[in-house]
Amino acid sequence: MWNVIKKLSIGLVVGGALVGLARALDFPFVFQMMFFGQALFGAAVFMLLDAPSLKTMSGMKSGAAIVVFYIVLCTVCIAGASMWPQFDPEDEKGKIAKILAPKRAATEQGKAEELIARTKALDEQVKALEVRLKALGGDQQMAKEGPVSGAPPVVAKAATGDFMKIGEEQWQLHECYNCHKLKGEGGKKRGPELDNIGSYLTAVEIKQKIFYPKSYMAEGFEKEWEKGKMPDKFKDVMEDSDATALATWLSTFKNTSVNTPKPIKKT
Amino acid sequence: MMKMWQRSLVATCAFLVLFGGVAYAQTSEAPSVEFSYTGNRTAVWIVAQLHTLFGAFILGAPIFIVISEWLGYRKQDLRYDRLAKELTKVTVILFSMTALTGGLFIFVLLAAYPQFTTWFINQFYLVFAVIYPLMFISGTIVLYMYFYMWDAWKGEKKGRHIALGVLLNLICMATMFVINGPTSFMNTPPKTEGISPQDFLVAATLWDKIANQTWMPLNLHRIDGNVAFGGFVTGMIAAYMYMRAKTQEERAYYDWMGFVGNLIGVGAMLFQPITGLLLAYEMCDYDFSFCPYMMADQLSMFFEMQGAMVGLMFLASNYYVWLSLKRIEGIEKVRMTILAPIVMVAFPFVMMVVMNYYWIPEPMSLAFLLPLALAPFLFGRFIPITVSALTVIKIGFLMVIVGDAIWVTPHGFAATGAKMVAELEMPEAWSFLGGMPAKLSAIFTLVFVTVVNYVVYNRAIRQGTIIWGKIDFTAQFVLIFLAFTSIWTMGLMGAVRSLVRKYFHTYNLMPDFSAESFTPTLSYSAWWITGITVVFFTVVSFAVIVALRPSDSKGRVAEGSPVPARAK
Repeated sequence: MWNVIKKLSIGLVVGGALVGLARALDFPFVFQMMFFGQALFGAAVFMLLDAPSLKTMSGMKSGAAIVVFYIVLCTVCIAGASMWPQFDPEDEKGKIAKILAPKRAATEQGKAEELIARTKALDEQVKALEVRLKALGGDQQMAKEGPVSGAPPVVAKAATGDFMKIGEEQWQLHECYNCHKLKGEGGKKRGPELDNIGSYLTAVEIKQKIFYPKSYMAEGFEKEWEKGKMPDKFKDVMEDSDATALATWLSTFKNTSVNTPKPIKKT
Repeated sequence: MMKMWQRSLVATCAFLVLFGGVAYAQTSEAPSVEFSYTGNRTAVWIVAQLHTLFGAFILGAPIFIVISEWLGYRKQDLRYDRLAKELTKVTVILFSMTALTGGLFIFVLLAAYPQFTTWFINQFYLVFAVIYPLMFISGTIVLYMYFYMWDAWKGEKKGRHIALGVLLNLICMATMFVINGPTSFMNTPPKTEGISPQDFLVAATLWDKIANQTWMPLNLHRIDGNVAFGGFVTGMIAAYMYMRAKTQEERAYYDWMGFVGNLIGVGAMLFQPITGLLLAYEMCDYDFSFCPYMMADQLSMFFEMQGAMVGLMFLASNYYVWLSLKRIEGIEKVRMTILAPIVMVAFPFVMMVVMNYYWIPEPMSLAFLLPLALAPFLFGRFIPITVSALTVIKIGFLMVIVGDAIWVTPHGFAATGAKMVAELEMPEAWSFLGGMPAKLSAIFTLVFVTVVNYVVYNRAIRQGTIIWGKIDFTAQFVLIFLAFTSIWTMGLMGAVRSLVRKYFHTYNLMPDFSAESFTPTLSYSAWWITGITVVFFTVVSFAVIVALRPSDSKGRVAEGSPVPARAK
């Protein structure tokens, strides 16, 4: 018992000191609690070291002890894993569907699905027209309106604002923020900060860099360029129009107060 | 009766895989089956993971079975021979389970993802249709020969039997190398700059596909992992048998068996972080977007959990040493240079600083770290100040706790960088604690401390007198704990290796259009990993009960009676 009290006291003192230190160093509350927990865990380990020996078990008693032990292990593993922050798959599902949409459309199944969807849409349009015609009084009105085209209404080319939106969306979809800092977010210094990239490269050049990462090298990122850290997969996973939108959107970033490294043409 | 059943099962599964796979490969537009409750992806996950676990044991166990047999022959120590034979009995049963789950795996895969599986089998037609089934069947034949010739080939013919064991290992190793080809191909299919992966694949040979960038690192990681896994499962078997033992002689033997299993398991586990890092390094080198996905984004918390589990495993393996030392007479006289605890305490901090300046693969880091790590062993004898073995180990425990605390300290308490906010993130000045140099220093601290503790342990065994069968009963639970956590961690990291392909069946080549194409939560994964581990344990426990009935040991010569350890 004295062993437990002694180790627990030490654990509480060390834990308290760690919390005080962490608070003084501006660690968030959740880190302070983690440090406290680690101190108590350490105390528990040292309690175990000096714990009295366990009496030998045999027969049913040992069998029951094993089963209980397994239940404890399973609980600890599941509870332990559930205590960490959980990634929400819903955040990803929409993204993946958007990335894979062009690829899916290119498959036989995708083509068939698209055809079915278009047929359904046309069918609904025809039904709607029929209803309108009946309501207006038949053939005379039909002649006034002119022939009905079977093709869907022509959608105007995406306005510039939409195009920029697509570019920004591509930035999020392909998680470029994991390596590049932009608007003060993301980066972690894996790749160059891009707030001033528009001052150095045109949209066409940025697109070239996205599709062929070895085509330009950012100053100060020689090692990363040598190792080919920027993946060369984007020409395979991105649609050409999406890459153009991303490059165009990036080319609008001309914040000279940010030290974006100068890109050097390589190939 | 039993052997006929096993032979039939193995042969049936092998032929089902062979013909089923080949036949199905011809039908490209078959609709997929919807697995209710689990969903298709989890259904594949369950059988694939079970197959991997059984496979890991049957590939890992023969390595030290044959070493154990050789040691028994060389030292003329019956215990080693008995250990080898008992493990072979369990391996024979688990060989059947590997075949069964392998057959089930291919069928679930075919049912759940017919188009992908068809494409995949066509990519590795020769492997799936000819090489793998033939190697599996020849492995089975050699295993049965090895097992049934045990008593016939003894005495002067023992060398022949050991040679058969070596042949079995070579076949098992080659089988693993072969199947690791398609496995690693799914993560890192061959590619070259300027050519699309699809175009490159058309021109690629079978060898190009097998010898992809992560093939050899995966081979090394799995060889090492299988040995560790085999060692820990041996420890678990020993713990079961120790608990079932009726006599002191039996307890002495199974205490010794647990000691050997743990020693092999820990020895191999020490290399796991190194081979694991090599595999991760090659993955990141193949496509750097794997790296943030694993370490900083969707899978980052899987690595936190891995840190927690590995830390617990290192604590448990050192705790076993502690419990084992308590039954060594004369332990209080065993001492070690004061350099050992000093280096232990300094190690994580020095390594963190060095790694910040000289990151991998800068060889300069070794110029600082190697002398530091070797100092207690090279210069210890010149320093007259020593400390007791128990003090060294206690300081070791403290540093394992510190090392693991560094490992599990995240950059922030958010599962993805996109959701990181100031209230959950480490202060900027301390963010190095969440970086790779810090994590690496933590990992190597665990390894270094454990090496020092086992050196102390070895010294204590040589200088003192070990009483077999008198170990603290808690040690049996430690052995079970090590087996469980190693299998659980293996399941966790297997899930990571598979999930890293993101929304592809084969990275950048074959997209996964199904509704299950997303990163699952760590909690969801933990439930399934635990379930799979429990199923595996239940089957292994059954195999142990069937194969190692107490009647087997009746009339056996008493082995492992209390003897001075140095006498061996």
